[in-house]
Amino acid sequence: MATYKIQIDDKVRNATADEAAQIEAAHAEAQAELEAQAAKLAARQAVLDKLGLTASEAAALFG
Amino acid sequence: MANTQTSVPAFTAGQVLTAQQQTEINTGIPVFADETARNNGFGGTGEKVLAEGQFAYLEDSNTTQYYDGSAWLSVGGTFALTLISTTTIGSAVSSVTVSNAFSSTYDNYKIIISGGAGSTDGSLKMTLGATSTNYYWNGSYGGLNWTNTINGDASGGITSSLGVGLFSANSIFANIDLSCPNLAKVTSYASQQVRTATGGFFGTFGGFLNDTTQYTAFTITTSTGTLTGGTIKVYGYQNS
Repeated sequence: MATYKIQIDDKVRNATADEAAQIEAAHAEAQAELEAQAAKLAARQAVLDKLGLTASEAAALFG
Repeated sequence: MANTQTSVPAFTAGQVLTAQQQTEINTGIPVFADETARNNGFGGTGEKVLAEGQFAYLEDSNTTQYYDGSAWLSVGGTFALTLISTTTIGSAVSSVTVSNAFSSTYDNYKIIISGGAGSTDGSLKMTLGATSTNYYWNGSYGGLNWTNTINGDASGGITSSLGVGLFSANSIFANIDLSCPNLAKVTSYASQQVRTATGGFFGTFGGFLNDTTQYTAFTITTSTGTLTGGTIKVYGYQNS
């Protein structure tokens, strides 16, 4: 497991194993959110490609 | 304190004033130790009757007040926002906990995270206390550059934290309004954030924590990478 530093108020220290696991879980969840967002963007782009529109043209159409 | 007095005397015609009385007059606005001393300083034998237009200075709160005929009010009014704490973010930290941020003094809070930098592009997640479930949130992004394709929703949902901010290699920014974290109600929030990069974007997020725990602390955790520098400022909205 990687080493992480955490801060509690003004004190910085290395994360314990449990705290490091929580940070890694948070990072994994955030990565899943990014991937879900990327998938939505890809799906939208596929529709735009089908319609032959650029993102700017779509923005002009739909605001 | 040198200027402290315990009464505001009413003088009679021909009365010879003591040096102490002259000094109190020279002070201008009467100076009291606290509200109790101020209240006791008027209306007694040999004291002025409290009336509209009277000023007073309180040493314990360092405030100047005036009497409007029915109540003492602070000169300049009451500030809507009061700074509760400033936490300077350390070097290369993955999370920052701010203890004692919330109390019964305020129902609603503003949290501004600014300055500093991230080790990479990422987002800021907030948790309250030790709770890591039942956070409901979502939001939308808008690209700062016409040519990028980031416009869309933030893909939140029911997660282990709330999305509240963004950071890049040159800044960290979140502007968060938090409602009722210390009351026995669900805690809701709305936030605005910007990722300052040529391909950056702004976001507006909102949501709530679906429990009624009364929290005093919160933690900001990165989605990836670390934070260095900048501050987390917590303000309380005046209840009345």
